Parts: sequence; structure tokens; C-alpha cells
Amino acid sequence: MLKRLVYILFLITVSCIEPYKVELPQGEQLLTVDGFVTTEPGPHSIRLTRSDTYGSVFEGLIRPVSQANVAVRDSEGNVVFLAETEERGVYETPADFRARVGLSYSLLIELQNGKSYTSLPEMVNSVPEIESLSYRAIEIQTSNRLQNRVGVQIFTQFRDPSDQTNFYYWRQGRGSYVLVANPELFTLPPDHPTNPRGAAPKDCCSTCYLLEPSRLQTFSVASDQDFNGLNQNLPIAFIEDDGLRFKSMYRAEIQQMSVSREAHRFLRLIDQQINLTGSVFDQPPANIRGNIISLDNPDETVLGFFIAASVSKKEVYIQRNNLEVRLTPRIIPDDCLTVRGATLDPPAGWNPDN
Amino acid sequence: MNKTLPYIFLFLLLVSGELLAQQKNIVGRDIGQLKDIKISGRLIDQISGEPLVGATVTVKELNKTEVTNPNGNFNLVLDRADYILEIRYVGYETVIYPFVAVGDGRISLTMIQEDFTLDDVVIYGRDPEKNIRSTDMGAISVSMNTLKELPPFLGEVDIIRSLATLPGVSQVGEASSGLNVRGGGADQNLILFAGAPIYNPSHLFGLFTAFNPDVVNDFVLYKAIIPTKFGGRGSSILDIAPKSGSLTEYGGDLMVGTVSGKLSLNGPIIKNKVSAKIGFRGSYINWLLGAMNNPDLRSSQANFNDVNGIVYGEINENHNVTYSFYRSYDDFALASDTTISWTNMSHTVRYQGKFSERLAADVVGYYSKYDFTIFNKSGTNNFDLESGITDIGLRLNFTYALGENNRISFGGDTKEITIRPGELIPGTSEGESSILPKKVQDEFGRESGFYLQHELELGEKIGVSYGIRYDMYQYFGPRTVREYAPNLPLNEGNVIGERTYAAGETIKTYDGWGPRASLRYSLDSKTSIKAGYNKMYQFIHLISNTATIAPTDVWKLSDQFFKPQIVDQYSLGIYKNLKGNIFETSVEVYYKDIQNVLEYKDGARLLLQQNLETEVVPGQGQAYGVEVYVKKNLGRTTGWASYTYSRTLRRVITPFEEEIINDGEWFPANFDKPHDLTLIGNYKLATNASISATFSYSTGRPVSFPEAKFDFAGNSLAFFNERNTQRIPDFHRLDLSLNFKLKGNTKFHDGDWTFAVMNVYGRKNPFSVFFADQTGSPPQSYILAILGVPFPTLSYSLKF
Repeated sequence: MLKRLVYILFLITVSCIEPYKVELPQGEQLLTVDGFVTTEPGPHSIRLTRSDTYGSVFEGLIRPVSQANVAVRDSEGNVVFLAETEERGVYETPADFRARVGLSYSLLIELQNGKSYTSLPEMVNSVPEIESLSYRAIEIQTSNRLQNRVGVQIFTQFRDPSDQTNFYYWRQGRGSYVLVANPELFTLPPDHPTNPRGAAPKDCCSTCYLLEPSRLQTFSVASDQDFNGLNQNLPIAFIEDDGLRFKSMYRAEIQQMSVSREAHRFLRLIDQQINLTGSVFDQPPANIRGNIISLDNPDETVLGFFIAASVSKKEVYIQRNNLEVRLTPRIIPDDCLTVRGATLDPPAGWNPDN
Repeated sequence: MNKTLPYIFLFLLLVSGELLAQQKNIVGRDIGQLKDIKISGRLIDQISGEPLVGATVTVKELNKTEVTNPNGNFNLVLDRADYILEIRYVGYETVIYPFVAVGDGRISLTMIQEDFTLDDVVIYGRDPEKNIRSTDMGAISVSMNTLKELPPFLGEVDIIRSLATLPGVSQVGEASSGLNVRGGGADQNLILFAGAPIYNPSHLFGLFTAFNPDVVNDFVLYKAIIPTKFGGRGSSILDIAPKSGSLTEYGGDLMVGTVSGKLSLNGPIIKNKVSAKIGFRGSYINWLLGAMNNPDLRSSQANFNDVNGIVYGEINENHNVTYSFYRSYDDFALASDTTISWTNMSHTVRYQGKFSERLAADVVGYYSKYDFTIFNKSGTNNFDLESGITDIGLRLNFTYALGENNRISFGGDTKEITIRPGELIPGTSEGESSILPKKVQDEFGRESGFYLQHELELGEKIGVSYGIRYDMYQYFGPRTVREYAPNLPLNEGNVIGERTYAAGETIKTYDGWGPRASLRYSLDSKTSIKAGYNKMYQFIHLISNTATIAPTDVWKLSDQFFKPQIVDQYSLGIYKNLKGNIFETSVEVYYKDIQNVLEYKDGARLLLQQNLETEVVPGQGQAYGVEVYVKKNLGRTTGWASYTYSRTLRRVITPFEEEIINDGEWFPANFDKPHDLTLIGNYKLATNASISATFSYSTGRPVSFPEAKFDFAGNSLAFFNERNTQRIPDFHRLDLSLNFKLKGNTKFHDGDWTFAVMNVYGRKNPFSVFFADQTGSPPQSYILAILGVPFPTLSYSLKF
């Protein structure tokens, strides 16, 4: 909300935001933990990296921490070891591992250099089921007044239990959509020897399915402080229209999680940092303290958080006809299979009529 | 007094072409009286007929000075003789009035504004040698005529911004409404309008000051030695006095500017008995917004206005009553779904009376209310969030003259403060509401004080002013208060119980003695040294985690967790006037020690927070600085240079490791700006035109820079550890303005045009540096410049 104040201030006093180079101190290489274990079937993954200097991708390269021993222990004493995957620094639980409501989990890490770390225990609380999901198209203004962002906002409906304090975290699973192309508009390449740019309609294929790559995600957090025990209808996700996603139908998957109070605080601070605008109403940056401690040196700073959560998942199919605003659709004048990752078969579980 | 001064003024008057007839006036009916001749006088503006308040009337022969009261009156008791009266007032031509006192009688005097005479411009300060002769330290009084000479900010002269040009006074940035006085936070200033406290003195989040300059007579900022009649805030008192209407003639002011306009009217209701003045100022930013082609901006709204009303009545020469009303209003709608709105409102009744030549009384009763509301009408989850503060108070002040230059004042004050920290009211949404109503408990406090102050001159060389104030504070119910486990940090996990207090039941009291003293030693008539000590208590805290006054800020009364802020200030200064008071110079140093300043915890949540004690930690503050000031009062070029070197530091040490900030070391406060320079010049081009310039420079304010970058859940994030270790780039800006007056045949056509350009060379002064990982670019640092290009404004004002 406050973000938009800036636009008004812009107008009156011609203010501006621009990139600005500052001299930053050499960043410390701090161990960073990023991972979840949830009540969903595994495998669950934990990523270990080292922080670096803040700045461009070239300056501070975040490196994975490889060849560590990683394990998760529950409050009943069961220990599960995680194995490093092909992607360095990513450690996975066995596929049959899933967290159980009512237990607490700790992450144990031993690095190659012998240093060991542990997380504080994270309790898994039950999460109310998502009763339904709804959506609507929205337009978001940007500082560039000619290029408003358009997209779809997803709302979750659920009933918050009144007998407990709940902390919620929502994120999206990988989305997928019907990719509409126009192979009949295909033209030959401009360097074609006989017929440059000539029309050469293809017969196939005009509709494919595309599973979105995992990408920078929006997420949202809430605590039931303001709505304990009430039916909820909260906007929790935003999927930006890129001209292709909403040409026919889009499937979004929402994961509603119940996290601990501490995890909620951590995620909220991250959310706050992501939404900084530099305006006079910005909160000053906060030190985002995690829940990992060094067993060798209590003063060592370890970044990140190990989260254990229960999950309720639901899918929603977004129909083109229900969207009031859309970006001008992008035309692919070719076989849709030429788009990387596109398939003719629908992704697993695709069932829009359900 | 310097004997050459009258001659200088005489000479200047000659230059300006107005030769004063040196004929003697005979005052009084001659019945052969020789002693105790009582002469009362009245001083009014020759053009407007308004009484001139606070002018000095000096009987040259006796070296005796009187100050005119709010209806422009003064009284003299003289022996039968020839006298020369010299009358001085800021922004007016000095008047020399020779007369013979032969019996009880009246003198009626008029003064004319020197605005457009070529020379002899007093920038401010009522008496040219007041800075040397008074025991006041760090008291700055500014008349509105002075202000009008400065380049305007966004088309208008601005009280708060003009104060920030003076040494020791600064602001966080270009869109911030609070003042930082000698290292004090924005909440450490008590802003009084006609005696009533005003909590949010800004329009449009600090772009404008919420006081209409046309209804202000003058204002005084006390930043070093605060008279004992004031208390309750740590750093400064800004006392703004409204201007009452003329008892004899009707008049008005009109101004039309680029973003706002104002009109004020005044005149007698009962001639020579009761006068009234009303003022209105409003913005028309909405028209500009409406003309935008972006639909969101078109549906946005920004409104502000303020209204003043002053009724002044004279019971007789020695007793008068003033009623003053003030209301400022702001609303701000963001793309039509959320509206932020705030209102300041005050009613004041003031009685001033003179019971004898020695005893005078001043009684002020006030009611002041500040409301802040956020309305959300987004369709789903509608709500209103309301908060506010109400003050009701009474102030009683007596002054008793023990002798010439020997005066005591004493009195007391009390006020009741009610804070409504916030109430969330779910609105009518589609279907069932999904928000719970929530109300943070109201707070009740009572602040009272008794004081005594004694001012006296010990011969020519030494002047002393000392006094003491006893402050009492009571925090009372109804309220439910949490109890925390002893010796553990105040947080959710350590709550062991709750205690409920009944209405009116005392929860916590604080009290303290606040001694204040200043001493002046004059080396000669043009040079003096002053030293002072000041102790202040403050029982109200502004809890903020932004750099300026923002919607998320919360005012909090002292309770068992929030101890009062205690400020000790030591100051020392040397003052010297040069070349017959043409130049005024001063150097002041100060050291300030502040106890119980609040620092927010990382990621503190303040809005609708029932238990603020869990979100902040108490700290210590320290501030020190040197202020150098040179002012040129007279001549074709006038102006001043002020330079301040100061540091403002904070330290947070608690027994609990997780609450310690920056390892318990001193760190710079958000508004610590070591070097601060302001240059202001005004040059008379012709009798009806002048050009003025303001240049300011200050060190960039401290910010926190990330110590590292890390990834979490697909986001690239910054790791911040220590607070305020780096600084944003330095601030500098030049503003220019050209003022000229149109000469018309009637006074209705006498208008002033002001053309001004802010930020002449288009410096992009960063308000903030922030770090973001935005789509389409690598994580990097950005600056936000509030005023990034030269910004011209034009205004036209008319006096009638």
C-alpha cells in the first residue's frame, strides 16, 4: 500500500528512483541454509550456500556448499540422512520421508571442514485445508506509467481454527498452461534461399502444454492475529501476464502452509525487504536472524532458515474468459513444440473439468 | 546603548527620502504635574491598522525599554521633561518620536513596513542588540516579514523549513516534516499553536507545513535554555503566536500559487473593542492529478487545507481575551482504494491581564485533538483504522516585577492526554467480513508542572536567569497491563500474567526537578558570553521505525516499561555584534545527554500493537556540536551563514544479548549529519524588487548497508547486521527566488509576485539508498531522490 504513496510523491515533486553505485564492503562468506521439510511426500530438499558481497551477479557469486553431512532429526529421535544431488549444494531426503504433524524437526549439518551446525527445533502444526481458490485479473501501476503490469491474483478461502494461533505461508507450485501457437502463420526465415519470408503454414501444432520452470516466486505470509477463527478470503499470489500464460487456460498450484512463529517472522522480514521502495515510509532494513546456530562458535552468524511445515495443496484452473484485463496476447507463428519444454501431452493431473 | 545608532537611522531615513520633521510633540494636558506622568501609547501598522505586537519602545534619555502588548499598547511613567522615543520593530522602519511630557495622556504611533525601501532590512530579531543583552540562549524568534524574504519552498514560505536554515536545526530529508533540534528526535519538539500542542504539523507527508503564514504573527524556537514555563519535551519548544485582527480597519491577504492558495480577512467586529481574523488555505493538487493520463493517478486524490479563526477582545487597556481556533486537514487516496487522512484541531482561550505596574497574568486553556485514519475500500477485507490523541490543558503564568530589570515569573500547568493508539473496524465487504475488529487499549496520562523563574541584571555586565520546574506525571487506568518474568527480555514468551487497573487508578507515576539557568557576562556593549544548563523531562514517545513522521508511527505515553526521556543540556556561547550592529555573530557549543530514548527492534511491528514494550529497546543518546552563525542585518545585501558541526549518537546496552544493537557501541542516529551549512542572501535590486538565494549543504544521513548477499527460497536477499554504518551521498541544493511588487494606484492593486526555482542545478539528492532484487536487473543499490530536477513555482499575493 505504502509503495503507491511514492507514485503520488513522484508526481508532485518529480522524484525519481535510479540505480546508484555505492562502495560496499567485501561481503562475508556466511553459511546459508534454505530448505523445507513438509507433510507432503518427499523428497524434500535443503540447499547450502555461502553468502557473498552484495552487488551484481558478477561481483558476488553465491557458491554452493558441497560434501556436507546433512540430516534431519525429529523429536522422537528418528534421524534421516539427506543425500547430495547432482546439483551441488542441494541435499535431498529419501522419497518416503514426510514430516508429521505434532513432531518437531531439527536440521543437523556437518561441513567438510569439520564444523557442525544445528537448527533450533521447528514444530509442525496442522494447517487448515484450502476450501477453494478463486481469482481475478488485476492491473498494477508502475513508475513507468505506460507499462502497467497485468496479472491474475489468486485468493484462498479457508476457515482459520479459533483454538490456536496460526502462522501461514503461501507459495506456488510449478504452474502449467495451455500454450497456444499459430503454426498456420509460419513464414520462412529471411535468409531462405528461394522464398525468404514466404508464407509456409504448418499443420501442427497449435496447442501444447507448458510446465513453468521454477523461478523467482512471489509468496505471502500472514498470522491469524487479526482474523483468528474467521472464514478467510485472502489474496495470496500473483501471476504476471506475459502475453502467453493466459491465452487459454492456466493451472496454478497453491501450497498453504502452517509455519512456526519464528519462521513467520523470518519470512515476514524477507517479504518486507523484497518490497522496499526507498520511500520515506520504508522501514529500515532489519537484520534477518535465522534459526541455525554453530555448535563450535556461538558467535558465528549463520543465515537462512530451516522450516518444517504442514501443507494443504489445491489447484485452480484460470480460464481466459473470466479475466477482465489481459495483456495483448503474444503470437507464436510456429509449431508450439518449438517452444522449449512444451509437450503435446498434458502435465500430470491435468483435469480442468474437475 | 550605542549613541551613533539614532544617527545611522536618521541618515537611512534621509536616504529613503522621508525626512522626519523634528518638531516636538506635546503629550498630556498640562495641569502642572511634575512627577509620575502616566503615558499610554498604541502602536499600529500605518497601512493595515493592525496593532504591532512585541515592538520595543525605548525612552532614550532614561535608557528604559517597554515592549508592546498583543494589542500594540505600551505604558510609560515619566517625569516632566523632553524625551525622544525610539520605536523598533522587525521589518519596520524605526520611528524616532520626540515629545514633551506635560501630563497624563496618550500617544498614537504608526509604523511603516520597510519592505521596499532600499536599505535597512532587519532579517529578524526584534531589537538589534537583544542577542547581546538578553540572557536568552538559543532562542530564535522570527517574524513573518523575515520569512517572506526567503526563497519559498513549493511556492510558499514555510515556518518549519525556514527554521531548518538556522544553526542546530535540521531535517532528515526533503519530504519529512519533523525537525531535529540539537540531536533531538522529531518527538522532542513541543509545537504550540496559540498555546495548544499540535502533533502533526505537516501537510502532504511533510511537503508543506500545516500553518498558514498569513495568520501567524511570529514564532519562537527555544533550543538551548528553555524557560521554566515550558516542559514536557526534551529538545525544543516552538511557540507559534497567531496574529489578531485589526481593531480599526478591515483588511486581508490573498495568495495564489502553483499548488495552493490562501485567503485571510480581518477587521473590527466592534470598533476598538473586538476584532476577528479568519484564514483559509487549500490545495488544488487534485486538479493536477485529475489531468493525468494514468487512470490510477486520476483516481488518486490529495487534499489539504487549514482554517484559522481568531477573535480578540479588549476588556479595557489592561485586560484582554483571545479565542483562537485552528484546524488542519489532509487526505490522501491511493488509486482509490486506500485513503489516509489526518486532522489537527485546537481551541484556545487566552486571557492576559495587568493588575498593577508590577503584576501581570497570562492564562491559557486549550483543547487539542489529532486524528489519524486509514480507510481501506478495496472491495475485499474493507476496514477503517482509526487513531488519535486528545489534550486538554490549562496554563497559568504570573510575572511580577521586583524592580527595574528584576523580574520573577511563576505558575503552573496541567494537561490530560488521551491516546487512542488504534482501532481496526472491519468494513462492509462482500459477504462475511474476514477481519476481526481490534482495538488497542486507550492510554490516559496527566502531566503537571510548577515553576519559578527569576531574571535579573546585576549591574551592566552580568545578567542571570534561573529557575526550576517540577514535573509530575501520572499514568492511569482503565488498562490491562502485562507482567513479565523478572530479569528476562520483554517478549511474548516471558509473559507471566496480567493485571487490570480500574478507571482512574494510578498505574505508574514519575516526577522530577528540572533546574534551568543561564548567565550572561558582557565584555562590552557589543560582546557577551553566555553559559547555561537545562534539564527536561518528556513523558510521551514517538515510536517510529521510519526516517520521518509516517502513518505507521505510534505515540506512546510513559508507563512502567517506558521511562520518561530525560535530557540534560549544557551550552556555552559567545556573541559579538560588529560595525554598529550591521553584523551579528555567534558561536555556541553544546553537549546533550539523553536517557531512555527508544530504538526499535529489528522488524518491529508498531501498528495495532497491543504491547509496544516488546518491539522497542531503551537506549542512551548523546549529542554535541558547535554552531557558528554570522548575520548581516543591514544594507542592500542581507542574509546569514550558519554552520553546524554536530554529532548525534545512540547506544543500546541491555542485559540480553539478542537486544543489543551494534555490539553495545555508540552508533550514529538516523538524523546524524555532522556538517550542516546554510547560506542565505537577499539582494535588493530596486525599491520594488529583490532576489534571494538559499544554499544548503549537509553530510548524508547514516544508513545501513548490507554486509552480504544470500539466497533464500529463490530470492536474492541482503544481510544487514550493524545499524547506520554507512552514509548516503551528501546533500546540497540551491534555491533562488525573485520577488517584485507591482505599484498600483490603490492598495488593492499592490501585489507581490514571487518566482522561485528550487534545486536550481538539478541535483538528485538521495533521500535514501536501498537495496533491491528487482525483476529484470541484478540485485543492486538504488537511490530515491524526492526532488530530482529544478522545480519552478510562481505565486501572486495581494494585501488589501
